[in-house]
Amino acid sequence: MNLRNLPLAVVLLALTPAVFAQDTPYFVTYDHHLEEPGNLEISVSNNLGIPRTGQPVFAAPLLELEYGVKAWWTTEFYLEGQSRERDSTIFTGWRLENRFRPLAREHRINPVLYFEFENVNEGSRIMKELVGHASSFDEPNADLRRAHARELETKLILSSTAHDWNISENFIVEKNLTENEGYEFGYSLGVWRPLARIASAKDCRFCRENFIAGLELYGGLGSTEQFGFHDTAHYLAPVIRWNVTDDSAIVLSPAVGLTSGSNPLLLRFKYQYEVNGFGRKVASLFRSKQ
Amino acid sequence: MRVQEQAMRVREQAMRRALIIVLGLGPMLVAGLLAAQNIDYQPDPSWQAPAPAAARPNPQAGSPELAAGGRKLFLRICARCHGAEGGGLKNAADLQLPVVQRQTDGALFWKITNGNQRRGMPSFSGVPEMQRWQIVLYLRTLAAEKEKQK
Repeated sequence: MNLRNLPLAVVLLALTPAVFAQDTPYFVTYDHHLEEPGNLEISVSNNLGIPRTGQPVFAAPLLELEYGVKAWWTTEFYLEGQSRERDSTIFTGWRLENRFRPLAREHRINPVLYFEFENVNEGSRIMKELVGHASSFDEPNADLRRAHARELETKLILSSTAHDWNISENFIVEKNLTENEGYEFGYSLGVWRPLARIASAKDCRFCRENFIAGLELYGGLGSTEQFGFHDTAHYLAPVIRWNVTDDSAIVLSPAVGLTSGSNPLLLRFKYQYEVNGFGRKVASLFRSKQ
Repeated sequence: MRVQEQAMRVREQAMRRALIIVLGLGPMLVAGLLAAQNIDYQPDPSWQAPAPAAARPNPQAGSPELAAGGRKLFLRICARCHGAEGGGLKNAADLQLPVVQRQTDGALFWKITNGNQRRGMPSFSGVPEMQRWQIVLYLRTLAAEKEKQK
C-alpha cells in the first residue's frame, strides 16, 4: 500500500457510516452469529483479575479486530497484554482465529467450527477461554514472558435461538505445539436475551431495547493426562450489553470464581465499534483509476 | 430611492438563484432516487421459504402503529443494502417491487431470519423475533408509499 493513501484510509474509516451489529454480550462463549460480510468490528477490552488475599491484582487488555469475510466465515486477530500490581506490564502475544458456519439456514441447533492459532507467553491472562487445569500466577512477569507457547485451539460451537433467547454451548480442545502436554479441554455455556422484545418508534439510547442481559458459565476440564474437574478453574458470569449508538456498544461482566483454583472475581469490560463496508473501502484504495 | 431599487434587485437575484437551484436539483433528486432503485433486481428462485414458514401470519398485523419501530430498525439494519426507501442498492433486492411485496409476511420473516449466503445477505436471527416482525410490518408500508407516489 502506498503510504500516501494512509491519511485517506484513516478518513474513510472515520466517515464510514454506522451499522447495527448483531448483538452478542458474551465474553467467552460464542454463538452462531458471525460478522456481516465486509464489516470490521474493533473491540478493546480488559480483564481485571482480583486474586486471593496476598496475590497481586492483574489487568489483561485485549485488542480484537473481527472481519466478516463471507456470510459463513469470520476471521479475527488479537493482540494482548498484561499488567500486574507491584510487577511490570508486558505484551503477551497474538492470536488468529477463524469461525465457519457450515449450515446455511437457521436450525434448532446451529453448529459453528472454530480454529485458532495462538502465539502467546505464559503471562497471558485475557482468559478468552479456560482449558486444562488451574494455573498458578506466582512467577514474576519477567520469567513468564520468556516461556512461549504456540497453541492450536479448536471449538465446536452449538447455538440455538428459542424465541428471543440464545442458548450456546462451546466445547474446547487445545494442543500446545511447543511442549507435549497432551490435549487440554474446556467448556463454555451461555444464555442471553434482549430486555425488550418490541422496538419503540423513538430514537432512544437508554430504553430497554438497547440492553441485552445474559449469563455465562465457563471453565477447564483437565487434559488427556487427567481429565475431569480436579484442580480446575470455573466461573459464573452475568453479562450485560448496552448498545450505546447504532455502531458501538459497551459490555460488562463480573465473573465469580467457583473453585479454589479460580480467582475470586474477574471484572470484564469491552467497548466495540463496528465499521461498515470496511473491505470495500480498502479495496477501492488499490483499484485502478481507469 | 436608489437604495430601495438596489435592495429590490438583490432580492430578485436571490429569488432567481433559488429558482435555478430548485429546478436544477429537482430532476437530479428524481434521477438519484431512480438510480438508487434496483429495478433490474432478479430474485433468487432457489431462495424460497418452506410452506409452513410462509404460512405464518404476522402477530403484529393488527397493530399498524408498530411499523414506526419497524422503520427505525429497517434504517439501522437493512437500509445500508436496501436503501432508506427500500429501493435496493448494489445487488440487494428492491423491496418495493411486486415480486417482493406479493410474498407472504411469513416468507419475508423467514428470509430476514435465515438470510441468503449465495447473495451475501446475512441471517438476522440475532434480532429479537418480534422486532423482525416489526420490520415485516414496515416493509408493507413501502408498497403503500409507492402507490401514493403514483
